[in-house]
Amino acid sequence: MADLTLPRPAPAQPAAPSRRRVQNVNAPLWRNALFVAPYLVFFVLLLIVPLFWGMWMSLHKADAFSTGRFVGLANYARLFNDRIFLQAIGNTFYFVLLTVPALALIGLLLALALNRQTRTAAVLRTIFFASSVLSVTIVTLIWRIVFVPGFGLLSTVYGWFGATAPAFLSDPKLVMIAIAIATIWWCIGLPMMLFLSALQQIPGDIYEAAALDNAGRWRTFRSITFPSIKRTFVLVLVIQIVLQFQLFGQARLMTNGGPNNVSTPLVLYIYDAAFKRWDLGLGAAASEVLFALILVAAMIQYLVSRRRGEDA
Amino acid sequence: MHVWRTSILAAASALAVMAATPSFAATELSLQRFFGACDADFGSNTDVAKAVGECGIITSMINKFNADNPDIHISVTTVEWPGYDQLTAQFAAGDPPDIVSIHHSALSDYQSKGLLMPLDEVLASVGVKPDDFTDAARNGVTKDGQIYGLPIDNWTMLYHINMDLFKQADLVNADGTPKLPTSVDELLAQAKQFREKTGKPYFVQNLANETALYTRNFYTYLFQQDSDFFADPLKVKLNTPEAKKVLEMYKAIFDQGDTTKDMDYAASINAFLAGEGGVHLNGTWVIGDYNASSQTAGTALNKGGYAVYPYPQLFPGKKAQYADGHAWGISQKDRSAEETAAIGKFLKFFKDNDFEWSRTGHLPSVKAVFETPAFKALPHRDTVAPIATLGTALPSTVQRQFAIQDIIGQEMNAAMTGQKEVDAALADMENRINDLLANL
Repeated sequence: MADLTLPRPAPAQPAAPSRRRVQNVNAPLWRNALFVAPYLVFFVLLLIVPLFWGMWMSLHKADAFSTGRFVGLANYARLFNDRIFLQAIGNTFYFVLLTVPALALIGLLLALALNRQTRTAAVLRTIFFASSVLSVTIVTLIWRIVFVPGFGLLSTVYGWFGATAPAFLSDPKLVMIAIAIATIWWCIGLPMMLFLSALQQIPGDIYEAAALDNAGRWRTFRSITFPSIKRTFVLVLVIQIVLQFQLFGQARLMTNGGPNNVSTPLVLYIYDAAFKRWDLGLGAAASEVLFALILVAAMIQYLVSRRRGEDA
Repeated sequence: MHVWRTSILAAASALAVMAATPSFAATELSLQRFFGACDADFGSNTDVAKAVGECGIITSMINKFNADNPDIHISVTTVEWPGYDQLTAQFAAGDPPDIVSIHHSALSDYQSKGLLMPLDEVLASVGVKPDDFTDAARNGVTKDGQIYGLPIDNWTMLYHINMDLFKQADLVNADGTPKLPTSVDELLAQAKQFREKTGKPYFVQNLANETALYTRNFYTYLFQQDSDFFADPLKVKLNTPEAKKVLEMYKAIFDQGDTTKDMDYAASINAFLAGEGGVHLNGTWVIGDYNASSQTAGTALNKGGYAVYPYPQLFPGKKAQYADGHAWGISQKDRSAEETAAIGKFLKFFKDNDFEWSRTGHLPSVKAVFETPAFKALPHRDTVAPIATLGTALPSTVQRQFAIQDIIGQEMNAAMTGQKEVDAALADMENRINDLLANL
């Protein structure tokens, strides 16, 4: 390879060895690993080791204080015979279905509405993003104040009309919707910002050309805006699917998974197994299932987006 | 001049360090507790007599201990009730607090793993004898013949009663005491009468996102039927006629609208204080607050008075109701002689001041406190005194009682609200608990 880039130096010339080192500047050298080593050390220690440790633990009857004995796939067998675990998987998918499309669509609508260079738009962008900086504790506290029966905001408003507010925190049909509402309010900032940054990268002259051709708003959106931000749309979907699969804090603090486990997501199931029941092996096995689910979702997106790239 | 200034500053710094040295020598102990946070009101209060409520009294007691013992410093971390998930993680990480608030019902979990220190020697070294405590308190903290916690109280659930609404419902005896039921049928009949006469539900209960109340009620009425459901601490029997009777009773109460339905704990307290129902099922710890409300003009409890009683005996079995207790547990770790001595002092302080803690409404753990005029003068202690003999705990060898509580509460809720048939809920309850206990 080096021979192709530089002419071979004459053997008698004393500067030859140093020039040869320069030739290999693009060649793989082990010492270059030093540049990435600090990152790699932390990556391996904090991500790779726990990942494999978790897999190993899922094959053991373990509690928080001992690794216990090897039980093979018994924890996985227990999981798939556990009605509540299967219910938790269903709850998690239901929650992802409730939140991800809503986050993508509302985020896109907000971005389209606020993609202007006015002071009002800047203020509104800040307001809509503000909820994202709150901790889950504050978010759930706010929404509990809204939903709590008898004394909450919703009850007060319904009371003005002599009606009874829906029991968002205890009705089996409504609890997941209540958690989804709080989550969408909390998480809407990131999709909106991602869409805004994508929208601002579309050249203005395309819109000018469309305007000259008398293209309507919907036509402009369908033919110019959406194709230009399609990759961002997919990115938002993937990020939100991965995030919302990991629902925990909102369910823990708003409903504690109830009633009758209809709002127990996978991560809350894992938490209960590991920390309440001290059944760490079972919790680790459930974690591996969650890992596989998220991995599959991410891979599907990767394959779909790659195929689209190839088609294009 | 510059040299002089530097020298003076150096000397001042040295003096400051020397002056501060004695405070560094204080023995540091970490304490982790529930009971809430109230630093805004009691953060610096050392006059325990002025404090009210669980949080106010415990905060003030620890402040007083620190003030009385300048050679010891207790640093406090407050956790959300009950805090066991966090405590378990701390033990697993090898970083537990020295002193921790713990329920008698949770001691077995940690004691069985060798995580708690037996306290017999420490208590003996400061002159605290096991016989100083009531049988219920001592038995609650004794495992395998050794004491694993300093009991500070026993507690149970009670009927907190709005007497104004009971008068409206014509449920008051000639002597002014409330008419309480003596059977399930009588309870349902009185609840119906109450609803018809007041337009409000008989019970104020926190049934939303809650498991503790369901489980405590369930245990109480199983005990009252002499059901030995934990004859084997590793295998529960709950798919029984006795358990079915309890669930059917609660389902009838729910279906007939004789209870508030969608409230969590905080909402149920607000509802009772606002006069939204006749009987609030809550613990000993709210007696002080409810009594204070009844003495405040204009409140719902001031209108006709407040009364509090143990759960009525609804079944023809042993007179009993579920009870538990709080204790200080000490984590097992290497400590210096000074640290161990400081722990002994702290435990003795709480034993000596058990009366102050009993002002919360909890029953004292120290026998002698029952006989003091000060305790006898506390409001409503005459009516709740029988719980000292009625109080019954689960067998102390039953582990994971808080995880079991969650399972029972979830299944009872499902049965009461009609999400499951009673038989299915009992079968699931039993299977889930036995799966948990089979995998300890």
